[in-house]
Amino acid sequence: MTNSIPFTLDPPGTYVYTAEAALRGHRLTAFGLSLRRPANREAFLADEEGYMQARGLDQASIAMVRARDWTGLIRAGGHLQSMLKVAATVGQDLWHIGAHNADLTREELIALCPRKVNAIPGGKD
Amino acid sequence: MARIVGGFGISHTPSMGMAYDKGMAEGWAPNWRLWYEGTRPVRDWLERIRPDRLMVIYNDHLNHFDFSAYPTFALGVSDLFPQADEGWGHRPFPDLPGDSRLALHLTEKLVRGGFDLTVCQDLAVDHGIYSWFPYLMSAPWSVPIVPLAVNMVRQPIPTSQRLRDLGRAIGDAIRAMPGDERVVVVATGGMSHQISGARFGIANEGLDRWFLKHLKDDAAMLIDTPQEEFMRLGGTEASELAIWFAMRAALSDRIREVYSYYTFPAITGCGVVVYEEPEAMA
Repeated sequence: MTNSIPFTLDPPGTYVYTAEAALRGHRLTAFGLSLRRPANREAFLADEEGYMQARGLDQASIAMVRARDWTGLIRAGGHLQSMLKVAATVGQDLWHIGAHNADLTREELIALCPRKVNAIPGGKD
Repeated sequence: MARIVGGFGISHTPSMGMAYDKGMAEGWAPNWRLWYEGTRPVRDWLERIRPDRLMVIYNDHLNHFDFSAYPTFALGVSDLFPQADEGWGHRPFPDLPGDSRLALHLTEKLVRGGFDLTVCQDLAVDHGIYSWFPYLMSAPWSVPIVPLAVNMVRQPIPTSQRLRDLGRAIGDAIRAMPGDERVVVVATGGMSHQISGARFGIANEGLDRWFLKHLKDDAAMLIDTPQEEFMRLGGTEASELAIWFAMRAALSDRIREVYSYYTFPAITGCGVVVYEEPEAMA
């Protein structure tokens, strides 16, 4: 369990949400955002697979949602703010997503935070 | 004419809102009590300065908008802004009052002045405003807001220079508004945080305090700092600090800093800085 944080914007440390990611994940992000409506949250919880099929998600995306594979979903272009709504609907939270991304347990990640670094622009990293 | 009596920048996070509700109901967690107490002087300042309107520049988090159409700049033109359901239901607060007259004036001035705004006659507002609002104001809300949403959720985001120019135009437009309203300009976003990727939880207090220290008198230096540097050193969502340039640029160079506070409760740097214009109390 390491707390070193690289000052780079490359995966797997960082997934900058580019226009390409938005295009790649358009359906996935739209699916997550559909859960802003309480009735949709109920429908999803009643039949996850059927709900996602009706929203046009491909099998790979459906499998990742079923597995709560938050890192895979973000790589596939699902926006964090949208995937967070999926997590909340299934009883998980931001810490679950972050822990999956950081390859830690949720408890380990909570114990590490805040992960303090110290650098300002123009100074030494 | 209306006048700008001051402005402030403040962080927002969903957890800030949840901590407020929990703190008021069952007592405060120590880390969030610091933020609660640290924002009390801002509340006191607002009571003293008696704003008639709040011009709030913020960012939506895919709670009103979605990627079928995501505006870079969107102005709320309405007398009421409901709270968005972010996926886990509403917090127990009423909708926010708006001022469509001021918003229409801003629309006219900004669009004719070169800012091609998306005009929203319906706009649900998320934690970008609701998370800090109850710390500073009491429900039922008495001060109407004019919200302006800035894209911070997908690249490319607007440049820091563009946000400064937008802020200047907002300031000019408010000062050209017939009437005698006292307006406070608010920017909300940042500070250091990153909520995805293996760098989740990065916390750069030095960067945040450096920003708070230089915003008043050396904003040009901060604006010239590449946004990627803020993201690299402070986490991807530290880019939201660019919103604060709009607030700073809406104010004059005669402001004085009346208050600043900073803490890091969990996974987001939480800071606030308050500026007051001369003769604001007159």
